[in-house]
Amino acid sequence: MKHFISFIQKESRHILRDRRTMLILFGMPVVLMLIFGFAITNDVKNVRTVVVTSQADHLTRQAIDRLAVSEYFDITATVGTSQEAERLIRSQRADMAIVFGKDFASKKSGLQFIVDASDPNMAQQWTTYATQTIVNPQLSTVNSKMLYNPQMKSAYNFVPAIMGVLLMLICAMMTSISIVREKEKGTMEVLLVSPVRPLTIIIAKTVPYLVLALVILVSILLMARYVLDVPLSGSVVWIIAVSILYILLALSLGLLISNISNSQHMALLLSAMVLLMPAVMLSGMLFPIESMPPVLQWLSAVIPPRYYIEAMRKLMIMGVGIGEVVREVIILFIMTALLLAVSLARFKTRLE
Amino acid sequence: MMNAIEVHNISKSYGKVTALDDVSFSVGRGEVFGLIGPDGAGKSSMFRILCTLLEPERGTATVDGYDTVRQMKEIRRRVGYMPGRFSLYQDLTVLENLEFFATLFGTTVAAGYDSIKAIYSQIERFHDRKAGALSGGMKQKLALSCALVHSPSVLFLDEPTTGVDPVSRKELWDMLETLKERGITIVAATPYLDEVRRCERVAFLDHGHLRGIDTPDTILDRFADIFNPPGIEHGKTTGAADENVIEVQHLVKAFGDFRAVDDISFSVKRGEIFGFLGANGAGKTTAMHILTGLNQPSGGTGTVMGYDIRTQYEQIKKRIGYMSQKFSLYEDLTVAENIRLYAGIYGMKGKEIARRTDELLQRLQFSEHKHDLVSSLPLGWKQKLAFSVSIFHEPGIVFLDEPTGGVDPATRRQFWELIYDAAARGITVFVTTHYMDEAEYCDRISIMVDGKISALGTPGELKRRFRQPDMDHVFTHLARQATRNSD
Repeated sequence: MKHFISFIQKESRHILRDRRTMLILFGMPVVLMLIFGFAITNDVKNVRTVVVTSQADHLTRQAIDRLAVSEYFDITATVGTSQEAERLIRSQRADMAIVFGKDFASKKSGLQFIVDASDPNMAQQWTTYATQTIVNPQLSTVNSKMLYNPQMKSAYNFVPAIMGVLLMLICAMMTSISIVREKEKGTMEVLLVSPVRPLTIIIAKTVPYLVLALVILVSILLMARYVLDVPLSGSVVWIIAVSILYILLALSLGLLISNISNSQHMALLLSAMVLLMPAVMLSGMLFPIESMPPVLQWLSAVIPPRYYIEAMRKLMIMGVGIGEVVREVIILFIMTALLLAVSLARFKTRLE
Repeated sequence: MMNAIEVHNISKSYGKVTALDDVSFSVGRGEVFGLIGPDGAGKSSMFRILCTLLEPERGTATVDGYDTVRQMKEIRRRVGYMPGRFSLYQDLTVLENLEFFATLFGTTVAAGYDSIKAIYSQIERFHDRKAGALSGGMKQKLALSCALVHSPSVLFLDEPTTGVDPVSRKELWDMLETLKERGITIVAATPYLDEVRRCERVAFLDHGHLRGIDTPDTILDRFADIFNPPGIEHGKTTGAADENVIEVQHLVKAFGDFRAVDDISFSVKRGEIFGFLGANGAGKTTAMHILTGLNQPSGGTGTVMGYDIRTQYEQIKKRIGYMSQKFSLYEDLTVAENIRLYAGIYGMKGKEIARRTDELLQRLQFSEHKHDLVSSLPLGWKQKLAFSVSIFHEPGIVFLDEPTGGVDPATRRQFWELIYDAAARGITVFVTTHYMDEAEYCDRISIMVDGKISALGTPGELKRRFRQPDMDHVFTHLARQATRNSD
């Protein structure tokens, strides 16, 4: 036990004395949260809109007013013909045009959208929003209700994803580098020659990073709740419990990487390329898994962040009980056990 | 009485390379035993096998009566091991390092204090300094304290003194002798002959084969061609010897309050081999950085190749060559690619590079290795090649910063033949070294102590002036006066 404590003490000193790394470790979550929360959003806001109408009947007026007061659209011009509107879009002075036909009021036809679709996803969203805004709820046959995220804020989607990627990166990268550094500097040789059991060395190495990851987890959750207004609908205890399981998984991955690599930059590359890229691309963080080709869907099935992000979305945003995320938790648990077993089996008590 | 170490028919190979081939020897309890041999002889592999870090392919070994393969745990409790590189945590303080290693071996600093007192008391006043900020000699004392804190019965030292100045090396070996009195068995590898002579018996390993075990003098005599090559004749250069290529007056470099270089003045003539000696932390490297334009002086004036070191360093850089022990060649490029790269940096034309490359490789009898990766070459060859590359563009002066660290005497002698060759062609050689036999090879020597030059002259003059038999004694005599104790 004494070994263990002095190991943890030594490891914590390494971490605390490396100011720059500390700054990055704590700065990165904050910066990422702020960037994703405020700067990069898929939210529809202030779309520059041209209204095309020659009528001034009551229903058209009402529709235009609804557009004008919504925060989604900015009416920048009102013109007479759709040709003029198209010209405005082509000259980059408007994003979409809404053309009210002569018989709009009589409900027969008469509504056309002209949209700058250079970003197809956004174009799709604008038309949906515009339709909902214009169509008179009393007369409409379609009525949609947004569950869990009525304002459709993208922060709801990004916060679990950032947690998934950041925790993976920090835990796996930092542990693997700290072990490989000892190999590189030659101190590992002396540690191995000592009577301390290799298992003790390994566990003691990971404990400070577990603590560090928890601190980061809590700061992300606090920021999500109080800065980005993301609700923590579910039980905080379960959110943290599932996160700890995921952190353990990431730490085991870090151990595995440290077994394979012989230099710090190798460990860094492995964690960045092998962990970060798939985590971002295939976990469903950026692109929905359902719309991937089958091959990529199979690949994404072995990406741990996928299940963690899924579980966090359910627990944090949907606020369901732990019973609804049993599948994800079991998968994460099996992955952790496998990785831990492999990396402990591969850990060498001698040199090659 | 049982021997402390028994080695029976040990063999070990890495892929195609045979590191150890059927090696057997035994070391008595309380003996100081030397493992010597050129780079790549298999010394480190032997240490690792004895420390239970490696499994031998064939043969058996016991340490303190325990088998290295089956009774790993027992051995790991009883040995102290100091690998060549300082196995310390650079970002922990002296005391933190010591405490950590003490706990690691199930003891405390207080309990182990008696066994390390002689060594640790010398660095104890720096106990809250980071290990990374210590000088080479002090790091070594700390590493030794860490290896001894649990009172091991056998101590393994794998080239513990590489890159350490002669005074610190002598102190270390004085300490090892006190350990012997306490009955600790010591196995040490070293490239230094004075250290070899302090062992009771030595084993000479060469390419994995055990060539002989005997007293140091017998071994050194029997293999004199390797360990004690005849001195080289230095044909005096004829060129315009009165022209100064380096002139320095009252040079000062201060970092805050600390004057790393403290008012030094000297000059070096064209074609001269100028030895620039000093203990670790005496200010040699800083002075060399100023001369090569890597650093600006805080005070004083100087010229190199006629150019001002303050303002015309770009001109200076074009006319000098530089080789250091730390960085010499790119390991992942081939021999030819390295030469091409450096020649290209100095603006040589493609055709000329190709022609001169072939010439050079022929002269070094190296042509067949033209397309080999540098990482596959032995250390001695790398150093020769690195030197040849550093003078490939025919510079006026070449600066060599500890060019021969960790190499056996025969290889170092070959290296010096190359240096004499270069000097004969009119290239001035400015060299730092910790090997005092190399100091004897220089035309003139300066010895720096605490940032100042405390002696300057030919080796003969210095020996007469300080009434010492050789350069080793001259150096020790001067460096002992140092008050500064760290880098």
